[in-house]
Amino acid sequence: MSNLAFKLRYPLAHFELDVELSVAPGVTVLLGPNGAGKSSLLRLLSGLNKPYSGHIMLGGSCLFDSTQKIDLPPEQRRIGMVFQDLALFPHLDVSGNIGFGLKMRGTGHGERQRRINQLLQKLAIEHLVDRNVATLSGGEQQKVALARTLATDPELLLLDEPTTALDPAARSEIRRWLHTILIELKIPTLLVTHDAEEVAYFRKRVAVMEQGRIVQSGSFHQLLREPTSEFVARFVGVNYIPGKVQRCDGKLFFCSHGGLSFLAPFEHVSPGAAVLTVFPWDIALYRDLPVGSPRNHLHGKVLDVVIRGDRVRITLAREDKLVAEISSRGYQALGEPQAGEQLWAVFKARESRIENREELSC
Amino acid sequence: MKRPRLFSLFLAGSGLLLAALILLPILALLLASSPSELLQLLGNTEILQALWITFLSSLLALPLIFLLGLPSAYGLSRCKGRLRRTLEILLELPMVMPPVVAGLALLLAFGRRGLLGELLADIGVRIPFTLIAVVIAILFVVTPFFVRRCTVLFDSIDYKLEETALLLGASPWQTFWHVSLPVVRRGLFAEGIMALAQGIGLFGVIILFAGNLPGRTQTLSLAIYNAFESDPQQAFGLGTLLLLIALLLLAMVHMLAPRERPI
Repeated sequence: MSNLAFKLRYPLAHFELDVELSVAPGVTVLLGPNGAGKSSLLRLLSGLNKPYSGHIMLGGSCLFDSTQKIDLPPEQRRIGMVFQDLALFPHLDVSGNIGFGLKMRGTGHGERQRRINQLLQKLAIEHLVDRNVATLSGGEQQKVALARTLATDPELLLLDEPTTALDPAARSEIRRWLHTILIELKIPTLLVTHDAEEVAYFRKRVAVMEQGRIVQSGSFHQLLREPTSEFVARFVGVNYIPGKVQRCDGKLFFCSHGGLSFLAPFEHVSPGAAVLTVFPWDIALYRDLPVGSPRNHLHGKVLDVVIRGDRVRITLAREDKLVAEISSRGYQALGEPQAGEQLWAVFKARESRIENREELSC
Repeated sequence: MKRPRLFSLFLAGSGLLLAALILLPILALLLASSPSELLQLLGNTEILQALWITFLSSLLALPLIFLLGLPSAYGLSRCKGRLRRTLEILLELPMVMPPVVAGLALLLAFGRRGLLGELLADIGVRIPFTLIAVVIAILFVVTPFFVRRCTVLFDSIDYKLEETALLLGASPWQTFWHVSLPVVRRGLFAEGIMALAQGIGLFGVIILFAGNLPGRTQTLSLAIYNAFESDPQQAFGLGTLLLLIALLLLAMVHMLAPRERPI
């Protein structure tokens, strides 16, 4: 089983790409906001751009090493890459596209045809064999592009936002299809995406990239529990409140940048910069503040209301923003509040998580 | 969008004037000689020879134009910034050169007393006033135009197609041959015909560098010049012949030219 391991530096327009990562066989999702350097990273790995310094090891072989002056050209790296806009060859039909890599490697006609048929069958796209690529739908093009890449038996697969260009209906079908194909592959696969549902399909290994760096890696579950940046928090849908832990009268409390104070499980933190996170579904909403246990609360104006299935997400804003997710029954019980109305958001201290953290400068 | 009426009239008026300017002389030429006169021309040996020289020189030049021009155009389209601008200016040099001046310059480069004259004489090669001179003249004038238009063609290729080919294991040679060229093949065919048409019509550069020797260097354009002095009616007929050839080539260009930009 071959692993991909790399450490790369490359200057981009506004920051430097500086990434070190090891990718085991199987799918690793590379997640990040637009302009974080994800596509640039794929281009560096595949040899289309030359890193400023660093190294790339794939299995036992070295693809790039700035100190040893090793820099294999892309055609010798055995890396399969599918661009976001696919780049199917317009002058070749489907089987011509899929067989292209084999033809360039001097594979004979018969053997090539056998491999093409095998792939078409495996990917369940036999019906497309003689089609002109211009007549394919977005989803079909995506399948042919992946087949073309897999035909050359790559040792590493790079997929750049494979479903972004598709319309929503095709997207969910391709997601499912990709999932069934990719889990069969025994090679390291880097899947760049913005798409939360795609991440949900490949939830075991996720690496988050921001400003040219890997800021967090782990399972989707870990991201959800401990988002290390506002981007991750927003992506997984967790409330992320930066601030600092302060000591007052021997007791600790959390003071947000917006000036609100909250209580949290303070066992493992010390005074200083910190981030408080809380799941939207752990926040309750009220018209009037209930009397009783000391709870964290925020009285704010409803910014927006998003109804998704039987869940309703309500964003409250005051000095800080809080997103609460309640059931539609709960929403009805509240009298279906609309944007502009005032509500109380309440959560228990022990349902929030707090960690000392320097904020990532954005 | 609704334009002011007067403005539309102004646009239509100037368009009509231009159309008249283009079509009137063409029509005059076509009316000047009858079909039977044209057929008669084709019985004239000297004219058949001129026709033959015209096609032979252009067809000999064409593969050389492709051989020199295609890699240069591809290379140029992959250049960026100042280097590209400098090279483009170099290409424009022969384009702005008056044809007669180009003929003189070629004579001074390859002629008997020219820069390369002695060197060529030593190996027993004499270029001026031969068919080779006609071909070189065509190369000199036509190739820069060809390169410039092909550069635009290569610029239009989506670079990701070529990158994909590389990633699939194709060498840069294979990528050029199996992706870059086929993707713009219709455009290249059209440019080839365009080059052919341009070469057929050359006059000034050929008469100075290759001379006007019937049966050796006299192309149809030069034959028209000769005929105009002795027998204008024959010159009109030859003119019509040359015009019809040009129209035929133009029709072919438009049949082959990509109707939309290549993907």
